[in-house]
Amino acid sequence: MKASVLDAPVRKNLIFVLPGLIIYAAFVLLPILAAIYLSLTKWNGISAPDFVGFGNYIELFSDSRFFISLRNNAVLMIFYCVVPLAIGIVLAAIVSSIRAKEQLAIRTLLFMPYIMPSAVLGIIWHWLYNPAFGPINQGLKLMGLGAIALPWLGDFTFALPAVGMVAAWYYFGFCMVIFLTGLQRIDPSLFEAARVDGAKPWYIFYRITLPLFLPEIRVVLLLTIIASIKSFDLIFTMTRGGPANATLVPNIYMYELGFHLNRFGYAASVAIIGAILIFVVNYIVHRFVRPADGRAR
Amino acid sequence: MAGYSPNSTAKTFSFRVIMWMFSLMTVFPFGLLLLTSIKSKEDLFKGAFVLPAYPHFENYVSAWVDGHFGIYFWNSIIVVIPVVAVSIVLGVLTGFAFAFLSFPFKKLTFVVLTIGMMVPTEAFIIPLYYEMRYLGLINSYWAMILPQIAMSVPFATIFMASAMEQLPKDILEAAMLDGASRTLILRRVVIPLLKPAVSTLGLFLFIWTWNEFLIPLILVNDDVYRTMPLGMLFFQGRYTVNTPVLTAGAVLVILPIVVVYLIFQRKFIEGLTAGASK
Repeated sequence: MKASVLDAPVRKNLIFVLPGLIIYAAFVLLPILAAIYLSLTKWNGISAPDFVGFGNYIELFSDSRFFISLRNNAVLMIFYCVVPLAIGIVLAAIVSSIRAKEQLAIRTLLFMPYIMPSAVLGIIWHWLYNPAFGPINQGLKLMGLGAIALPWLGDFTFALPAVGMVAAWYYFGFCMVIFLTGLQRIDPSLFEAARVDGAKPWYIFYRITLPLFLPEIRVVLLLTIIASIKSFDLIFTMTRGGPANATLVPNIYMYELGFHLNRFGYAASVAIIGAILIFVVNYIVHRFVRPADGRAR
Repeated sequence: MAGYSPNSTAKTFSFRVIMWMFSLMTVFPFGLLLLTSIKSKEDLFKGAFVLPAYPHFENYVSAWVDGHFGIYFWNSIIVVIPVVAVSIVLGVLTGFAFAFLSFPFKKLTFVVLTIGMMVPTEAFIIPLYYEMRYLGLINSYWAMILPQIAMSVPFATIFMASAMEQLPKDILEAAMLDGASRTLILRRVVIPLLKPAVSTLGLFLFIWTWNEFLIPLILVNDDVYRTMPLGMLFFQGRYTVNTPVLTAGAVLVILPIVVVYLIFQRKFIEGLTAGASK
């Protein structure tokens, strides 16, 4: 059976497929499979890996630092997902009621952080947060709020929220842009009709806007939750997991275990758990956050 | 929206205030960055929000020369161009195969490619490091180019395949009836029709590759091969006290992306949202 008019015998088709697949297999697929194998071994990077079965995973269960990193990741999810989603949806509603030119300007500005290298943004915020000469604390002192000019990234309580705020700042414009396109898809007469019927704004938002936005909410949730599990660059450049594990997340822990402590097998098991978490999140969001008519995959 | 009542005008006004407040919040760090990058060290002590007497552009010179940003810039170019170019070619070829051709294990191959899109680089960076060491490629441009091409293949393939599936079938049939070979059809019919999709893809790949941090962090540790984001990190380590030069360096890293973004921003946002809502 031919796939299309352009189809030909397999031998001739393979010329198109193989170059991409070979390089993908060599530098992505093979390392992924090797990582799965490594996670079942103890390996210091020099001698031959020592197969230990699920030993690393069992050890993870009683590793308090691993649990700290998971808990921190859960807290960060609020800043990666919930805050940008809420701000994004409200801003989209506001921005959509504004003239097209101004709307374009706002969209361009708010989207800006999303295209930037997060490692460099981390370094910039590291400077902004600097306790002594950082602009944030200088600003606070100028406003007479010197009492709350804390060493943000060095403070055990505030380091995690401070890092989280940067993530929220990074993602809210992105969320807004996604919702803004969603609004263009939605028929404005729906809102009009509800307004004419005398529905309260909150009711309109809850009963019309939210359900209609479900596809966008799904995309935003998926991307931001995955980003939070993947978070490395921002935290690495701002705190490296410190102070005293306050901002430790699985990927930072993995980096430390592997490239500082030479426990490559154990590090790989942390990385694999992260990948599994991403698959689980993907499944959950696809399964449970879906439009009422069930059309979307 | 005709006929504002006074009430709704007030409302629009307060909406506007909220909106511009958030926009300011977004650009504020970048504004401060620009301001600080043209200050002298002495200006810095007068306060973060004080304007310098005159702009000190020499910070950019010292970032470019003493801070090695000149080297980092060229390294980034040397890595980004082959990654984007080869990934596009591979994406077009494999995408073409997925859209129009039959080959064994097509469905399975597709699933395996999507897995590569989901698994974070962090998960396989350790074996990748040892693979590169085994191949003797650690500390070379290849160490950054090859894995980033491989990482781009899944997205490039799926992006191009879905663009090709939307092409009108009769055009391809007509070309086939004219007796054109498949490579000729790909070159003369498919690619010209897909120019917008190809350029969107190129834009995404450019920004992702330019911004990549983990791959050069792990696979390259010689300063002469570092790309811009990495150079920034090591520059921060060496010049912690020299904030003006550090901020000048940061401006140099993000300037190329901002320029590209401002030129193509419509295209970029459209592509992103179209991809995201799929």
